[in-house]
Parts: sequence; structure tokens; C-alpha cells
Amino acid sequence: MHEVSIAQGMLDIVLDYCRKEGHGSIKSITVKIGKAAGVVPDALQFAFETLKTDTIARDAVLIIDEVPVSGTCKSCGKHFSVEETYVIQCPLCGSFSFTVETGRELNVAELEVE
Amino acid sequence: MKVKVVANILEANDRIAAENRKKFRDAGVFVMNVMSGPGAGKTSLLERTILKLKDTVRIGVIEGDIAGADDAERIDRLGIPVVQINTGGGCHLDANMITDVLADLPPLDELDLLIIENVGNLVCPAEFKLGEDMKVMLLSIAEGHDKPLKYPMMFQESTALVLNKIDLLPYTDTDIEKIRRDSLSLNPNLKIFEVSCKTGEGIAEWAQWVQTLIKK
Repeated sequence: MHEVSIAQGMLDIVLDYCRKEGHGSIKSITVKIGKAAGVVPDALQFAFETLKTDTIARDAVLIIDEVPVSGTCKSCGKHFSVEETYVIQCPLCGSFSFTVETGRELNVAELEVE
Repeated sequence: MKVKVVANILEANDRIAAENRKKFRDAGVFVMNVMSGPGAGKTSLLERTILKLKDTVRIGVIEGDIAGADDAERIDRLGIPVVQINTGGGCHLDANMITDVLADLPPLDELDLLIIENVGNLVCPAEFKLGEDMKVMLLSIAEGHDKPLKYPMMFQESTALVLNKIDLLPYTDTDIEKIRRDSLSLNPNLKIFEVSCKTGEGIAEWAQWVQTLIKK
């Protein structure tokens, strides 16, 4: 539900960078979004399309690079990766207690500018 | 031309949260972020906690709601300084909203405990730091025992879980032991309290624990 604020945060970072570096238009923005970050890619895409209109990113394409979930289980100590993205459970021993290593990212990664 | 711009999108919120936290630390006020689904009894828990502690602890409250000031009015009736945030549709509070209303409360060094009641929602509030010392998750018996595994992040991020409306246990199929078991499997360090804000059961133990956390 908060994809609009995520999209605004992303756009703020990008526009701020372009202002400082003197770039006049943005062709694409690549973001890394972890599958367990609680962000729905379609909703983020939609929010971006709405927010970009009056900015130098008005013609920009948003590329969403989804990062799979992986972590280390606190019960069995093994490293694992999972497909399930919200309720994460160790596939080896079934424990719900773990350290997430990837899959919670919410990062701007790359820009294509002119 | 492609350029690498590596930046965390939530960094702006995290940075403001860290500034809030420093203000709270410097003033020696303990800050508790209370989260739950709508109707679990957050405001009732605040009222009960305030009544137990207000003679010995200086309390301030920030109320977060999508719309309306009903909750703030309930706290105001207890003679406690309170400020209402209306998010206007937003599903959670963020750190900046907290910064903006601090001026409407008494100076922080004149408070011992600041309670922030988040927007009723079991998903988003867990993801946004406000600068709090701890998050508290409230779950009512009527919501059912499947909630910890359906909304794990809330339980993983919280220091304490308060199970409210235990007076309803005889009238529901809720398995409280399953709630305990699943919550502890998500977060082995979670401190669990069972209370009824209606009858007052369990409130003394909860309030006493909160009091031990307050710094001055």
C-alpha cells in the first residue's frame, strides 16, 4: 500500500542526483527490490508512472530488478534460499527464525541519463 | 550514458528516524511504537497503561490515524498531552511525521514516556522506523491464532506482544498456545503479555514491565 511513498523516495534520490550532476533527462532507472521487501512491482510501476510526469524523468522507463530471498537459519545454521516471499521458513528444518541476507533490498541501482 | 547510483530508498526515513532517536535519547524519554490491526485495542491499552502509570510517570502520546481525532480525544480526557496525526489515507506513520509534531508536545525532557500509536494495519507499520526504543505489537483474541504466521514481520520486529481481549477466550476457537508458540518461533526473544483492557486483567504486570524500561 505504500508503493507511492517508495516511488517518491526513489524519484527524490534520482532527481537530486541529476540536479547535482547536471543531467537534463533520464532514460531509465534501475531499482533492486527484494522479494521480501513488501513491495508489489506493478503497484510501484504504477506509482512511478503517475509521479514522474512533471519531472525530468517524464520519459524514463523503470526497470525493477527483483532480488530473491536468502538467509541463514538460526536453528540449523544452514544457508538457504526460498521462493515464498512473505512468510519465510527454513526449507531444511522448518524453523521461522533466521537472519535474512538478501530479499529485503529497496535500492536505486543505476540510471541512464542524457 | 549509464551511471551507478546506489542508494537505499528508505534511507531518508531511516536518517530522520535516527535524528528522532537522538532527540529522544538526549532528553531521556523512552519511546514505544504501538502497532496492531484496526480494532485490536491500541487506544484502550494506552488508556489502561496511562491510568496505571500517570501518577509516577510523565507521559505524552502521539496518535496516528488515517482520519479523525477520536483517539486523541480519549487520551486528552485523561489529562495527558496528546497530538493527533492524520495520514489522510497513508497506511503507516513515518519518521518525518513524528518530527513534525514534536513541537506540539511538551518539551521532551519534561516527559519520561512517549507512546506512539501507529495506524491500525498489520503490514506496513513494521517497515518504517520512527526513532522508537521499542515496537510493541498488540493482537486481540478475536483476530484468531493464525495471525503470527500470516503477518510475520510485525512479530519479528516487536520487542513485546500484548494479547488483548483474553476475556473473550471462552467464546472463540482461538488457540492462545498456538499464538505463543508461533510468535516465539518467529521471534524467540519476544516478551508476551495476556491482558483484557475491558476487565483490567493482566494490565498491572504489563504496566510494571513498561515502568522498568523508563530511564528516569
